[in-house]
Amino acid sequence: MSSPNEWQVDILEAAQQCVYCGYCAVCPTFRELKWETYHPRGILDQIKMYYLETTKEELKSDISKSLFDSIFACTMCKACENICIADIPLLKIWEQVRQESFKKGRWNPALLSLYNKVKDTQNIFGLPKEERVSWAGLANMVMTKRTQRKAKVAYFVGCQASYSGKMEGVAASVIKILRKARVDFTILGNEEWCCGSPVFLAGGYSVGKTFAKHNLDQFKKLGVKRVVTACAGCYRAFKIVYPRILGDKWDLEVLHISEFVAELLEQKKLKYTKTIKEKITFKDPCELVRHCGLIEPPREIIEKIPGVRYEDLPSNREEALCCGGGGLLKLNDADLTRQVNSRLIEEIEYSEAEIVVNGCPTCLDTIQQGVKKKGLDVEVIDIAELVRRAIGG
Amino acid sequence: MKKKTRTKFVRYLGKQMKEDYTALQIYSRDMADLPNLTKLLFNNTPDGIILPRNVEDIQRVYNLANETKTPVIPRSGGTTGFGGSIPYNKGLVIDCKGLDGELLIEPIDQTVTTSPSIIFSDLQKKLKLQGFSLCSYPSSFYSATVGGWISHGGHGIGSIKYGNVVDQIAEMQVVLPNGEIKSFSEKEDISLFFGSNGTLGIITEIKLKIKFDIPLKQFGCIFDSPVELMKGLKELQDVDPFSVWFLNPAQVSAFNDSFGYNLPRSYVAIVSKEISYEEEELTFSNNFNNSIRKAGGQILDKRYIMDIWDFRFKTFALLKEFPDFLVSEVILPIETSAKYLRKLAGLFEGSLRAEGELISNTHYSLLLYLPIEEPINDFKKSLLILKINKHVLKSKKVGGFPYSTGLWFAGYYPQIYGKEMYKRYKDFKKKVDPKNISNPGKVCSPKMRFFPLFKLKSIIRIASEFS
Repeated sequence: MSSPNEWQVDILEAAQQCVYCGYCAVCPTFRELKWETYHPRGILDQIKMYYLETTKEELKSDISKSLFDSIFACTMCKACENICIADIPLLKIWEQVRQESFKKGRWNPALLSLYNKVKDTQNIFGLPKEERVSWAGLANMVMTKRTQRKAKVAYFVGCQASYSGKMEGVAASVIKILRKARVDFTILGNEEWCCGSPVFLAGGYSVGKTFAKHNLDQFKKLGVKRVVTACAGCYRAFKIVYPRILGDKWDLEVLHISEFVAELLEQKKLKYTKTIKEKITFKDPCELVRHCGLIEPPREIIEKIPGVRYEDLPSNREEALCCGGGGLLKLNDADLTRQVNSRLIEEIEYSEAEIVVNGCPTCLDTIQQGVKKKGLDVEVIDIAELVRRAIGG
Repeated sequence: MKKKTRTKFVRYLGKQMKEDYTALQIYSRDMADLPNLTKLLFNNTPDGIILPRNVEDIQRVYNLANETKTPVIPRSGGTTGFGGSIPYNKGLVIDCKGLDGELLIEPIDQTVTTSPSIIFSDLQKKLKLQGFSLCSYPSSFYSATVGGWISHGGHGIGSIKYGNVVDQIAEMQVVLPNGEIKSFSEKEDISLFFGSNGTLGIITEIKLKIKFDIPLKQFGCIFDSPVELMKGLKELQDVDPFSVWFLNPAQVSAFNDSFGYNLPRSYVAIVSKEISYEEEELTFSNNFNNSIRKAGGQILDKRYIMDIWDFRFKTFALLKEFPDFLVSEVILPIETSAKYLRKLAGLFEGSLRAEGELISNTHYSLLLYLPIEEPINDFKKSLLILKINKHVLKSKKVGGFPYSTGLWFAGYYPQIYGKEMYKRYKDFKKKVDPKNISNPGKVCSPKMRFFPLFKLKSIIRIASEFS
């Protein structure tokens, strides 16, 4: 197993590589807050001040106050790293500063509360473990036979689709798709623990590590080779964070539902039978597109729908706008989330789309709220729900 | 800053003003980080930072500043290395990025009205959605703001065809240092603000001329010597380019190292042309080839052109391996600068990198980068800054001048914009800012902090000579 030290960067050295071009002004929260202390290059300046040995101790308290405030105003959307001409691993740096904040006991109460909830109940809502599969009952589905059975494919539902009433259609849609394609799959049921993404994002690695080990053990126990998820946060955790902390032991193939559907369509195991006439657009979730480089599969599967009218948003693919809900910002500063989100809603309005499709529960929730606030007549759904409609599920 | 003065600002601005140590440090620099030794010349750490929300905030700040004789330093993207947006001697930095505004595209007039704080890449994206484009823009396209570019005195990509930023302003609204809000639409008036570094007030709204979005095609060529390059720059004007951008041999070597190319260590130029249809491309290609041959150059292999052009806005990335670097920029006449250019190539053991952009029929701008290979102390860094400045100032001998005044070249306004313009500037400044509170120490050379008998310009010039 690799230790965090092996993949952590020399934070000071990395910060010193900044050429101060300022291109990272693309940062969605900096654009709202405007102070250069929130500008990624300004955060790097603060990091230099904080970590330099020559900085006087009495100044470090002032610097850390500003630094930790700025770092938790970040949505971790990775737009800064994407545009950085000096190729600085900014995301790793932001993660490490969040860890430093954790070590120094400088989290805000809302973060601490989330951390404790996840630690105690293994889900982000602090709800009982036994209710993890209650979404199935609400969708009139019986999952008893699928739960904890041996299979090569596992559907990892994720906390939001498992517990949130707003996401109840997501898990049911994925199940419909898998059943329709006659995929032999399993779910972990009550033994599914949070992927750890929120605690990783907050900078608390020790708990996240326990979760990663637990989920891996469960997958191994059931003989799973491929993990399918419809949550961009879980997908990123499995794709990027688990290999870091579990090393070679994490040898599972991870697929976003859009990738899996693309494969099923290709293999003709799944077929679209229904026409969808509404104009559709897709909002690339930051965690899929910039973190994991997943760009084409969602578009491929949407464009194959009979009669589809699809158009990208003006900012798309790697340049997609952030919804404002990532990086736990929704928890830290809900107003800022709304501000960031309003830019995306403007683009959605401009696109004249009737359906906004997404692949991330956080985006989905944030966009739904933004659309409602603006009074737009737009339906916001997950890509699994769209596919379910097209297959007549 | 006196307690009473501070109270006045804080009372009005509340959370829109920051004074914590960390913020002050961040706002004490622009693209170039000043060595501590320069504190002898400038006190670049501000007393506070203000993020105005609207025109009224700016008016109020100017009124309070006049009342209390507090220097006000306007700042926008902070993307140049000239120091125009950092304090000369403390004061309050006004971060103009706080100014939001509606964007209004007028398709019939072909203009866009915008807030000055908009970043060029954002504006271009919005224009492109409507089928329009900016006429010209800076190389710091992804971070520079429209207002900042005007104040800095912007020439850039597209200037050879559409002129500098003044040629593109249809109208602009400014809060003058005396608190008056005024609109300007005459070129004569607008040009006062060009390169004024915010000394004449803060721009609060701009109406820019725009054009139809015509696709750009790139062509490339190589010149063995500065003489050939200059001939080429002259010849290329006949083909009506949108942009002519060139690299000096040191910069070509940096591209070679970075991309694994084997380009000769000479001058490489990439020419962009607005092309709407295939026949036009063919005609241009023939004309281009003839021009290059006439100048004694060679055509650059196509496989390099797009790679290099795609790197147009990213060339600072070539400096990422170095612990530090210095930047400056100079404007040179095509006719007489070949020798100067050759001399530059030999300086600092051939490590001085340069990128040029043709900005008019007679002149080009030259951006200079000096990579510093090993960490150096403050004293050495200060010497290097002075040394680069010396070479920028030496361009006077061939009719060149610094790109902008900023902090380092305060006092060189007449050389850059002409004596007549300087007189107009001074008259206007006296009228609108009699107490000299708007960005003091810029444009006109201030007196030395510790030896007020001398002007800063003379000290920097003498120090540069001996560097």
